[in-house]
Amino acid sequence: MLSERELERYDRQIMIFGREGQEKLKNSKVAVVGVGGLGSPVAYYLAAAGIGTLLLIDEQEPELSNLNRQILHWEEDVGKNPKPLSAKWKLGRFNSDIKIETFVGRLTAGNIDDVLDGVDVIVDCLDNFATRFLLDDYAHRKRIPLVHGAVEGTFGQVTTVVPGLTKSLREVFGSVREKSGKLPIIGAAAGVVGSIQAMEVLKLLTGIGEPLTNRLLIIDLAYNTFDVVELR
Amino acid sequence: MKVTVRYFARYRSLVGKSEEELEVPDGITVGELVEILKERHPVLKNEVFAEEDDLADVNVSRNGRYVRFDEVLRDGDIVAIFPPVSGG
Repeated sequence: MLSERELERYDRQIMIFGREGQEKLKNSKVAVVGVGGLGSPVAYYLAAAGIGTLLLIDEQEPELSNLNRQILHWEEDVGKNPKPLSAKWKLGRFNSDIKIETFVGRLTAGNIDDVLDGVDVIVDCLDNFATRFLLDDYAHRKRIPLVHGAVEGTFGQVTTVVPGLTKSLREVFGSVREKSGKLPIIGAAAGVVGSIQAMEVLKLLTGIGEPLTNRLLIIDLAYNTFDVVELR
Repeated sequence: MKVTVRYFARYRSLVGKSEEELEVPDGITVGELVEILKERHPVLKNEVFAEEDDLADVNVSRNGRYVRFDEVLRDGDIVAIFPPVSGG
């Protein structure tokens, strides 16, 4: 049941989701895997939307050069507070009606079942495909939807994997070469891609609209192009 | 036959245009078209596509649908090439 305070807080979106939809959000648990450039806007907007439980996963501490895009981390966190804890501190003050769980560490084949236990949707905010495929395998094994996002420079891509209904990430990006070294990235581009990922989660949980299933959205903000490729 | 090639993201920046129409041999595959593009735009060959015959780092759609490299093209097809991005 939603409290009077929650009914007021979420009033403008209850106009879209209905009380029933808002209660679904409250009763959901969403894992944000990677709390960096994509994870920051994803976690921020999901906290704003009233997702009942957020699970934030990352192994790193923020660096100064992260702050052009990782907007949940501040100067005082640099080199000190692991990203999930840094994010939890802000989000807990932003929305005290939601639960925020954290896992500081690397996801592995050995711990993923324990760490992601009970999650309804996984959001891929990672920076490497090796760990993405680990999430992909888990999502298919447990039949949980996975919202994939990636960003580089002024470009980004988003697709939503629903086991049994769509291709796996491995089928679409199976032969991607891992890039090494520093990638260029603009914070606002991560903000756009992360905001689209957050919308995908809200659509999956409430049933509004159509998620990007079997479709890959390709964005280039240098030229304002948004293209959708069919993945079937 | 004629095909339209559309360049996305980094490829667009490197090639310097968003699309072009090309006259290519009838019945070529997506993989063969990629070879033609590498010859036509050495910048793709040198900076984007993997070495030798490894075409791993390119995703291709034909008429808006994601395809593999062995797919045969037809006259009038619109082929888009885009680099998978991996950052977060």
